[in-house]
Amino acid sequence: MSEVVLKNVDNACETAEEFTRVFYKQVDNSRHLTSKLYLDTGLLVWNGNGINGNDKIQKFLMDLPGSNHVLKTLDAQPISENLVSNQLTLTYLIQACGDVTYQNDNIKKPFQQTFLIVAVDGKWKIASDCFRLQVPYNS
Amino acid sequence: MPKRGGGRMRNWKADNDHFEHDDRASNPRRVSFKPGTNKGKNKFNSWKNTAKLLLDDDVDMGASGGQGPRKPYRGRGGRLGSPAPRSGHGITKKKFVAGMLPWYQIIIPYGAKHDKDVVLRALLDHISPEIFIPHYYKINGNAAVFYVDDVKIAEKLFHADRKIMMSDGFKLVVIVRNTVPNVNVDADMKEKMKLVMAKRYNAATKALDLTKFHADPDLSEIFCALFRPVIMLAAIDIIAENIPDLEALNLNDNKLHGLEHLKILSTKLKSLKILYMADNRIPFLGSLDPLKSLPLVELYLKGNPLLNRFNDHDIYISDVRKKFPKLVRLDGVDLPPAIGFDVSEDVTLPPRQQSFLIDPAGQDLVREFLTQYFAIFDSESRQPLLEAYHESATMSMAANYLTNDNRNMPATRLNQYISNSRNIIRITERESRRRYLRTGKLQVVSFLSDLPKTTHDLMGFAVDLLVFTPTMIVLTMNGLYKETNTSGSPTRSFHRTFVIVPNSGGGFCIINDMLYVTNTTKEQEESAFKSGMPEAIPPTPAPTPTPAPAPSFSNDHQMLLNTLGQQTGMNEHWSLNCLQETGWDLQRALFIFNQLQSEGKIPPEAFIK
Repeated sequence: MSEVVLKNVDNACETAEEFTRVFYKQVDNSRHLTSKLYLDTGLLVWNGNGINGNDKIQKFLMDLPGSNHVLKTLDAQPISENLVSNQLTLTYLIQACGDVTYQNDNIKKPFQQTFLIVAVDGKWKIASDCFRLQVPYNS
Repeated sequence: MPKRGGGRMRNWKADNDHFEHDDRASNPRRVSFKPGTNKGKNKFNSWKNTAKLLLDDDVDMGASGGQGPRKPYRGRGGRLGSPAPRSGHGITKKKFVAGMLPWYQIIIPYGAKHDKDVVLRALLDHISPEIFIPHYYKINGNAAVFYVDDVKIAEKLFHADRKIMMSDGFKLVVIVRNTVPNVNVDADMKEKMKLVMAKRYNAATKALDLTKFHADPDLSEIFCALFRPVIMLAAIDIIAENIPDLEALNLNDNKLHGLEHLKILSTKLKSLKILYMADNRIPFLGSLDPLKSLPLVELYLKGNPLLNRFNDHDIYISDVRKKFPKLVRLDGVDLPPAIGFDVSEDVTLPPRQQSFLIDPAGQDLVREFLTQYFAIFDSESRQPLLEAYHESATMSMAANYLTNDNRNMPATRLNQYISNSRNIIRITERESRRRYLRTGKLQVVSFLSDLPKTTHDLMGFAVDLLVFTPTMIVLTMNGLYKETNTSGSPTRSFHRTFVIVPNSGGGFCIINDMLYVTNTTKEQEESAFKSGMPEAIPPTPAPTPTPAPAPSFSNDHQMLLNTLGQQTGMNEHWSLNCLQETGWDLQRALFIFNQLQSEGKIPPEAFIK
């Protein structure tokens, strides 16, 4: 691997650390600001429910019970640069796992969440966010 | 009943092995008559003793607690012969004391000698004008046994002991025990319960009336009392299976006492909001705590001992409302609207969906890709997955334990994963972070080949298709797999993301693969591999071991291939991949081979020719 690629690996990890710190703080404490972290055309898939676009994501998040996320496992990879669009966009894949407690039942639940984040105008934005509680899904 | 019947009692029992009486240690107690072992001359003696013993038991049940010194049995048990007038310290002085259980077993020794009708008529005549319904009358050995569910009747029958002269010249002995009929809940019984419940269900109001369930004429053959947890749980299962949207449940007059097992109502019957539990034996308001998570709007508790604990009815209402804040009717009376706080209604989580597709057009492709991928992944050799990865693919895996999982069995240990886990919360050094990211398809597949052999629960996958464009597909899976070669075949839970791009051959390959592995929750464990077995998946023929596009090599390439194969011992498939990855640079290919080999990362199948 070239030095550039390796640096990008380092950077993906460091960005993931910073990103998850900001993201979960927002979701747990200032949820009304959270949608700013998403692209205008961002996608949230919450336990299989797809929500398209920044405004709808904001509304969906506001309707969730108060939460507290505790992160236990984090991993990140860069995605080859020229894949996401034709422009050179920096894109990272981030996988965050831990426990979440919602205020409606106060039960700690394991969750796994995967983000695709892109750098736009000097800011990291979520292109897609896939959240899953660790529960059986075969209905 | 602790420490009853010391040596003396045991002696007694040994002498009378034809009548086994084992109620000293266990509760509920049981009597069994061993049929056909009576030995003529001892029999009167035996049942007489028995009668007295059992009566003693009844007395002790009620007066239990600090037991005074027990009277010896010898005094009255020593005499042989026919039922004689009782001696001074005998039964006449014993008083009937109500027991804890709502049912009484009536034993008529030698009742088998008479017709059921004769016995019952004699008893009914004796206690007239009271009447009773004998439940589950049956002959056990030579005794007749039945049950009554009324303490008053039990007392009357208790006093009928040796008062009724039968046609054979013997007085009828009546033994009363505070015990419930023993019953096994089997499929047959469940079927009967189901039919009775169907009869009692009102579909228009979604209401099920189980008032005095055991007394239903269609259940006269079996002891089906809802106060027994095993029967109540069976009833709840039947309801959950057949009427999961039940809104009103009437459990009036069922002698309910403890309610701990009713906790599952809130998970099994989510729509339940009206509950009648009047005329039961619920002792405390706190006994209702297991029901607290039910969003009840109407509740009936009249006729339960718990009400007697409140002198002030308003306090009763207020205490019940604290447990069930949504209540609008209690014991048939509308409650004044409560004044609360305008905090957001307790919000619930949106229901979960099994899959999300950003573009329905992607469904077939995703299904096909995953089916093929996991067919190879779950097979003996993962080597053919080389075809599924991009030249410069990257792959990483992280693993962790569940929080508060106190199972500490070999099968729940994740050492095999944790030691390779790229959890960057723990792995903070740049160098290590780089190293744990497997790069290039050779590294990726050799890493995957080292993971435990698996069978994935494909039908149970939750798949989210997040990006579906001509140049890129991103999909995330959540699901379970079983480790097939690990002892105990543990099931693991995983979360995995593939970034997929078109390859030059018109197909697709994975360029990013990110895997998280953890243990299964109890809930997952229960439903694992339950949604139809893999026959739903087309039988494996995948793009599988198509041994690479072999024919079109130039002579040069074929020579390099042979050389690498000779020098490393790898088969053609692996040699080819190694060379392709290094741009047909033999020196580099050898270097990479040596490096991977020294790290032990080349799977044994690479050397199978």
